[in-house]
Amino acid sequence: MPRPLGFTSLRILAAIRDGSTYGLEIVRDTELPSGTIYPTLGRMRRNGLVRTRWEDQRTAEREGRPRRRYYELTAEGWRALVEGVARLRDAAEKLSPPLGSSSG
Amino acid sequence: MTTRVPRWARWLLRASSLVVPAHRRLEWMEEWTAEVEALARSRRETDRDYPSMARFVAGALPHALWMRKEEWTMESVVQDVRFAARVLRRSPGFTAVAALTLALGIGANASIFSLVNGMLLRAPQGIAEPDRLVQIARSYDQAPRWDSFSWPAFELIRSESRGLSGVAGFQDQPFVLGRGAEAEQVLGQLVSGNFFEVLGARPYVGRLLRPSDDVSPGAHAVVVLSHALWTRRFGGDPEVVGQTIHLGGDSYEVVGVAAPGLTGVETIGTPPALWVPTMQHPPYYGELPFSRWGWSWIDVIGRLDGGVSFQQARASMDVVTTRLRDADSVNEDIRVLMAPGVGLDPDGRRQASQLSLLLAVIVGLVLLLTCTNVANLFLARATGRGPEFGVRVAIGAGRARLGRQILTESLLLAVVATLVAVPVVYSADRFLPALFPYALAVPVGADLRVYAFLVGIGLLAGLLFGAVPAWVESRRALADVIRDAASSGARRSTRVRDALVVGQLGLSLGLVSAAALLGRSVLNAHAARPGFEPEGLVVAWIDPAAAGREDEEEGRGLYRRLLDRMVDLPGIQRATLANQAPVVGGHSRSTVMPPGREDVAYEAERIVVGPEYFEGLGIPILRGRGLGGFDDEPEPVVVVNEALADRFWPGEDPVGKILEGSGTWRVVGVAGDVQMRSLRQAARPAVYYPLVHLYQSSMVIHLRSEGSGPSPVALRQAVAEVDPDLPVAAIVDLRSAVTASMGETRTLGFLVGAFAGLALLLAAVGLYGLVSFGAAQRVREMGIRIALGARPDALVRLMLRRGLALAVIGVMAGLGVSWLLGQALAGLLFGIPPDDALTLSGAALLLLATAALAAWIPARRVARVDPAASLRD
Repeated sequence: MPRPLGFTSLRILAAIRDGSTYGLEIVRDTELPSGTIYPTLGRMRRNGLVRTRWEDQRTAEREGRPRRRYYELTAEGWRALVEGVARLRDAAEKLSPPLGSSSG
Repeated sequence: MTTRVPRWARWLLRASSLVVPAHRRLEWMEEWTAEVEALARSRRETDRDYPSMARFVAGALPHALWMRKEEWTMESVVQDVRFAARVLRRSPGFTAVAALTLALGIGANASIFSLVNGMLLRAPQGIAEPDRLVQIARSYDQAPRWDSFSWPAFELIRSESRGLSGVAGFQDQPFVLGRGAEAEQVLGQLVSGNFFEVLGARPYVGRLLRPSDDVSPGAHAVVVLSHALWTRRFGGDPEVVGQTIHLGGDSYEVVGVAAPGLTGVETIGTPPALWVPTMQHPPYYGELPFSRWGWSWIDVIGRLDGGVSFQQARASMDVVTTRLRDADSVNEDIRVLMAPGVGLDPDGRRQASQLSLLLAVIVGLVLLLTCTNVANLFLARATGRGPEFGVRVAIGAGRARLGRQILTESLLLAVVATLVAVPVVYSADRFLPALFPYALAVPVGADLRVYAFLVGIGLLAGLLFGAVPAWVESRRALADVIRDAASSGARRSTRVRDALVVGQLGLSLGLVSAAALLGRSVLNAHAARPGFEPEGLVVAWIDPAAAGREDEEEGRGLYRRLLDRMVDLPGIQRATLANQAPVVGGHSRSTVMPPGREDVAYEAERIVVGPEYFEGLGIPILRGRGLGGFDDEPEPVVVVNEALADRFWPGEDPVGKILEGSGTWRVVGVAGDVQMRSLRQAARPAVYYPLVHLYQSSMVIHLRSEGSGPSPVALRQAVAEVDPDLPVAAIVDLRSAVTASMGETRTLGFLVGAFAGLALLLAAVGLYGLVSFGAAQRVREMGIRIALGARPDALVRLMLRRGLALAVIGVMAGLGVSWLLGQALAGLLFGIPPDDALTLSGAALLLLATAALAAWIPARRVARVDPAASLRD
């Protein structure tokens, strides 16, 4: 992977991990603008962090709506998310005051 | 399925989808429709209201733009380049021919640009802040010109001009360097003491001249050598500084060597080999050059003071003009002009620009031709790639994508061609001066600007020849897929190729006729009789004063002995002397008039001649007599030419008339007109004075011989026998000088001729390719025709007709190009009008013949078609 993932990418990955399946749900979950979400999804797809799956045509027809494109994490995506979260936690710990001084 | 997506949102999506690359548009649309549908059906009311809906849909356009950008990112460019490289490698022959053709066009353009760059755009080297320098010149209200100043005028400019931190003067002056067998003539420059200071030049060894080196006449025998002379003649020995060298028989101390780049302030002309203070103005004139208002010899430059604009400095020249007019009556309607920069004076700049423009037009035509040719090659080859393009379109490549691929291929080819052209441009410094008709004082080698131009012109060429095939092919491939019919696309491609071949033929005709016009001018000049007989005439410059023979009596005796010795040389028929030689130079003029007629006073050619001058040069005496030898002319008499006789005494017999100017003279004869200065200038009024009455210290020996004349070595030896210290500055064969005076015409003729030959070849190849392509396409048809009983030669005619029709259209277009080029070249032509019918029709015929041959070779093949075989395939 060329570059550590940014905060936006991590939030999107986390949203997918937490059960959001298609774009609108990710938008709702992350509260990021749709104009940011879709290109980021596209880039992560190109880099192999997420993959997409089209909804079964019959399901969509049954509900009388166009079929949806679902997003899933790949193994690479899981690893990137875990690493990213660890990195964020690490950074947060460095920023917060030492444990001893805050407990007093 | 009923949608709950509002109409405006659907429209927005559809509009945004246009940005999405075509092959991904469907899935993009599907995903977004599903998302918006989901939003519209949301159970939460706030989701369905207008603001949240709008906020969501607003993301569609950024997404679409992002996808478009992805499509065009480096990754696919790299892919394109890789693919293009593979394609070019697959047909090495095609690639080599196309790249070499292009490299020629690109290299020619960049070389000419490097010439223009050195001559016009770049200031001479070795000068600090050259754009702060100005040139100052003498002109007149009535007769505008760009001329040098007298010394008193120069001193006045120095004291009266404002806004200049320094005003310096300089003048070319030939010097004889060294003595005896080692003597050679070099071009030096007399410069004011502050010359190098004004230039901001630096020494390489020792020091440069300073104001204290230039105070009183004849008192400063110091010299600065140019780096070139120092390395050539003194082996780059730094010890030479402080030593004494001989200039014109006098001893000078070398005080320093200038930095390597410094070649004076002019870009055209022989660069000075050494610099001497102005006070060392050749001593035989004494103090005269520094006191006479009427003796103009010094060119003036200045440097703008810090913060002063050119306009401000120029304004102060009005004051200088007024002061000059008040100072002496000679300056009555003088006007002091100032021009920015140095390098070339405005006249020279105009002339060099015109020549450069002509060269640029010609190489531009060549580039256009090579581009046309390569575009044609591309199209021809693309026809064979039809299936490949079809497949690519079928699997989703858009039209733009395909065009881009072809453009990438052509740009890659242009890059290869540019790389091939780099060594040509790099070595331009070596071959350009040889091709250029003037001496170049500055190096014209490539610098950053030239390489930038090279890259620019390379890319331009790539776009130029790539755009046509890219456009044609991307349309064709689409047609192939949609209609499964290659024919209409192929027809379009053929039409474009027809147009390209017509263009090629037209451009080559332009070049061919330009070359023919220039070539005939050179021939005409060769055959021209400029009023004297140049065949077998050799001239040699001698300067007794420069060798220390300043006494008139001594000089005359020397001339006499020289001529006696010369006629003894084998093959020499006559030997004579004059102060100037026709065409090659040493020209001087002086004002003459009939007695008391100052109103018609005229600056006539002033030709001081020795015995047998008219006989020796083959100039006819039309009335009266010529001039006698040293002992035959006790009276002050002159011979005038026809032009002067017509000017002063129209319709009268000039013999016996009196002429005033540098004394009073009686006219004893009228000589035929001679084009003294150039073959292109009509003869000017001229007066021939006998040497006995008007001594000159610098003369030209004229030798008339049968056949080739004396060898330079024999001539020098003969002069050395008479006076070992007298150097022969230059020996010129007038036959070749007359030819050389057509230098620009010949150079251009040679260049254009070479390019025209090439253009003709390219056009022929283009036409050949087109006809053979047509023949290959129609093999089946021809087979049927033969099977039905058509005679083979009728078929050949059928195939030829098309090629010839193109040739005829091309020739008609080409006649227009020829006419335009002819007008542009008019000033360089000699003895032939720019629209000479014979030349143009000859060129047109040559082109038609070439075209007919190029079409006939492939057309002939159809006659050999085996009907059975062609129908089976």
